[in-house]
Amino acid sequence: MTDVQQSRNAAGAMTADTAFRVRMRRLFGVLQGMASNPATVIGLVIIALMLIMAIFAPWLLEPNSPDPYQMPRDWGAVRKPPGTPGHPLGTTNEGGDVLYGVIWGSRTSLQLSLMVVGSTMIVGTIVGSIAGLVGGWVDEVLMRLVDVFLSIPELIFALAIAAVLGPSFGNIILALAVVLWVKYARIMRAQVLQIKQHDFVDAARVIGDSKLNIYLRDILPNAVTPVTVQATLDMGNVVLIGATLSFIGLSEAGIAEWGVLVSEGQAGIASGRWWASTFPGLMIFLWALAFNLVGDGLRDALDPRTEGR
Amino acid sequence: MRAAVAPQADDLILSVREVKKHYPIREGALQRVVGHVRAVDGVSFDIRRGETVGLVGESGCGKTTLGRVIAALADPTDGGVHYSMDGEMRRIDRLEGKAAQTFRRNCQMVFQDSFASLNPRHLVIDLVGRPLKVYNEAASADLVERVVELLEQVGLGRQHLFRYPHQFSGGQRQRISIARALALNPEIIVLDEPTSALDVSVQAQILNLLNDLQKERNLAYLFVTHDLSVVRHMADRLVVMYLGKVAEAGETQAIFDSPHHPYTRELMAAKPDLEAEANVEIRGLEGTVPDPARPPQGCRFHTRCELATSACGWEVDDVIRWLEDAPGMFEHLVGVERTTEFAAELAFDNEDAAGLLSMAVRSEQVPETMRAAMRRLNLDGTKVEIEFEEVGEVELTVRDDGRMAACVLAPQEVASWKSP
Ligand SMILES: Nc1ncnc2c1ncn2[C@@H]1O[C@H](COP(=O)(O)OP(=O)(O)O)[C@@H](O)[C@H]1O
Ligand code: SF4
Ligand SMILES: [Mg+2]
Repeated sequence: MTDVQQSRNAAGAMTADTAFRVRMRRLFGVLQGMASNPATVIGLVIIALMLIMAIFAPWLLEPNSPDPYQMPRDWGAVRKPPGTPGHPLGTTNEGGDVLYGVIWGSRTSLQLSLMVVGSTMIVGTIVGSIAGLVGGWVDEVLMRLVDVFLSIPELIFALAIAAVLGPSFGNIILALAVVLWVKYARIMRAQVLQIKQHDFVDAARVIGDSKLNIYLRDILPNAVTPVTVQATLDMGNVVLIGATLSFIGLSEAGIAEWGVLVSEGQAGIASGRWWASTFPGLMIFLWALAFNLVGDGLRDALDPRTEGR
Repeated sequence: MRAAVAPQADDLILSVREVKKHYPIREGALQRVVGHVRAVDGVSFDIRRGETVGLVGESGCGKTTLGRVIAALADPTDGGVHYSMDGEMRRIDRLEGKAAQTFRRNCQMVFQDSFASLNPRHLVIDLVGRPLKVYNEAASADLVERVVELLEQVGLGRQHLFRYPHQFSGGQRQRISIARALALNPEIIVLDEPTSALDVSVQAQILNLLNDLQKERNLAYLFVTHDLSVVRHMADRLVVMYLGKVAEAGETQAIFDSPHHPYTRELMAAKPDLEAEANVEIRGLEGTVPDPARPPQGCRFHTRCELATSACGWEVDDVIRWLEDAPGMFEHLVGVERTTEFAAELAFDNEDAAGLLSMAVRSEQVPETMRAAMRRLNLDGTKVEIEFEEVGEVELTVRDDGRMAACVLAPQEVASWKSP
């Protein structure tokens, strides 16, 4: 290798590095924007705590065997109030430790929201992109379908599907996924239609870049902001709707899931046993609140009118 | 004058031939096509190696649309753009594979809005390096050096590589766009109002840069602008457009010396610069541009032309346009039944209004030439039948001095006309 080549290669490596650093600085700017909003910070802290709880669940409380996602049963300690030794948040009618439900329920919720939001975001993004890019009758057909889905209230629709599929946690995930993808399709299509009008897309066509590259490099990156915001909001909303479905008995009895716990504990409230449903209920509330706070913060931080201009 | 040195056939890069671009107007739930915006309506001209053709006209006359058709961003509705390739003229919308790529690389474009035409999420190195990546011309360290070279050619440098478009001024952003357009070493660049959004001083710098680059690289430019004074010193030849058609075309200097079309005269007066001021009274263009979905008959400029004659295409629409500004009549107009664009029966809701109109169009209230073009005027109760002489489209024709203009008047008549 000649000296020139060597120095050029070094320059190449440096370039990639510089570009990376500049992009990171931009991302950092967005985070900074979010950090300047107290409500967003509160949301982020709650989410962080929830995640820590979910990740470290096995170290915080010994997993129930054989299935750690089932509530443990301690028939010797049923309906104990909070503060009982070994059961700081009390127990359920069947002697389930409420703290166990709260901690392991965070894993269940995380699983639910990640699976639902992940799948709906991908499906919706693909469908919306196709509709917006291809246009014509393809767009017509896809958007009619979306309209049909959107005309039925989310909760009722999910409830109907879950009811038909039969009560199980997996079916709740499926029902929510079937119902919620349309939102992303709608958002993505609108974004694609708008961004494809931009001069920078024409500029890319003029230099002769491929359609796929234009989609991946110009359209998609400029379209993701509202999708990301929606996904963040949905991370919270999904748990809320999921809990509602669980509450009316569409999930499996006895699993460590906040909605199920609220549902199973609610009968005791009248007799003064408030703890079995209050603590998991509080978790649902905090989870939904946190993601909504962060979603709103993200929307402001990513707003193109404020971002970097 | 260029005419003296007959252009070599192989000098020709692009030939725009009878290009039309019509946009459908859709209405209602069924999105039925109810008409067409005739954005470009039959335009022809050539562009040769190393020259600048100025495409001028008021906003909305179809310049951008035509520029986009030439850059193959839009397909023409009719006619075509032909590109010189291996000694053959080939229609760009029919090129495929390698040939399409050759054209693509050789015809670049710089857009009016420097912000909108640069992806806000890309760094300068991505933006300017992208064309090189698309054709695998450079990678990694090589790419950086090539981009730096390009940036230096447009007056920027290495220190700008890792910045986002929003970190630059409008003029600098336009330089980035120009660097990107130069990357593939094209034969021609379509410049769509490249300086219209810039301050005057910055404008001059960009124009100088474009001039220098043209000399160094023997580039051809299609310089699109609404501002005649911008192309005055840039363009070798001008194509003056009005409502989708060419009003006048020829050497820039010759046109500035003596415009052969009244519209060109008015454009020059609307944007006077020091030399134009001496020749033409400053008056500026009056009236609004008619709807390109319903262009006027005869000469499209006749609704605004101070020199209009009785042969310029007076039509029913002119009566209606006049009525719109005539209180006491327009609100009584209840129906217009056309037989042709030149003949119609206007129905009013009372006899007085009908009588008023039939009197008005016989009087000084309407232009004398319009009256002269009237073949028939018949008042029948609440109805007024009106008919004008049918006139075909006023075509672009070659004048005695070899220049082109679309006007019924001889060049001397246009030149000698003085604003009243
Ligand atoms: N995509 C489009 N769809 C419908 N009408 C259009 C479109 N683009 C331009 N037009 C119309 O075509 C005419 C010419 O527009 P344009 O080419 O932008 O003019 P200019 O660049 O000279 O200002 C205008 O009346 C404009 O409204
Ligand atoms: S033909 Fe000439 S004189 Fe007649 S309206 Fe047109 S521009 Fe004016
Ligand atoms: Mg324009």
